Amino acid sequence: MDPLSASLKIAGSGMEAQATRLRIVSENIANARSTGDTPGADPYRRKTITFGAELDKASGVDVVEVKKLGVDHSKFIEEYDPDHPAADEKGMVKVPNVNMLIEMADMREANRSYDANIQTIKQTRELISATIDLLKAGQ
Amino acid sequence: MQPIQLFDMAGRQAEWLSVRQEVVAGNIANANTPKYKSKDVTPFDAVLDQTYVPMARTHPAHFAANDISDEVEVKESELNDEIGVQESGNTVSLSEELTKTGEIRRQYELSTGLVKSFHSMMLMIVKR
Repeated sequence: MDPLSASLKIAGSGMEAQATRLRIVSENIANARSTGDTPGADPYRRKTITFGAELDKASGVDVVEVKKLGVDHSKFIEEYDPDHPAADEKGMVKVPNVNMLIEMADMREANRSYDANIQTIKQTRELISATIDLLKAGQ
Repeated sequence: MQPIQLFDMAGRQAEWLSVRQEVVAGNIANANTPKYKSKDVTPFDAVLDQTYVPMARTHPAHFAANDISDEVEVKESELNDEIGVQESGNTVSLSEELTKTGEIRRQYELSTGLVKSFHSMMLMIVKR
């Protein structure tokens, strides 16, 4: 595979990975207040995502892939709300371990990396069209 | 008369630049991959200095070792002062990689521009 097409493929894989990351962030934010509905039930658990560099066997190119979708095992936050359906005998409700600040920072970073990959694609296209333009030189 | 070497040189530089672009694209795509080490290629003058003796292919099943991408060595680049090693073990600095892509584009445009003008010079001779 020639290097320029390979760059396009790599940048594409990077965009896909970052898009999956954005999906996970939006799931976390959307479920930031998803509690259980029976007394003492566990609420939504925050999801995490890890990337890894993988060799694409068909083209021999190192691309990025989503390596693992995991869950955050940190403790749930507890709030006092005795009238809530998920409240235990002490009146405490478990709320998801989602921290909005962390999710926002994660979203920003995913955005920036996505932009950087788009820049790579734009740039590679310019290199390709500069090469094609050589054919027009004779006119 | 000396043979015209410009086309050969420009071709090799374009090839080197596209290999570098691939490496930079890999760095950018892996900017958030844990334990990923930023990579770069050997400088062009070092590639040019290598005596270029391609292996002969006497059988169709032989590997073609004549590609410049086999000559260009990809290795871990030096640690960036600003970023260093991040907590995840990653050493990619996005701003540095984007600077590199700008550099690659400038050089690529220069070499294609040179080929273009050289080509039109040759056509000028042939046409009239």
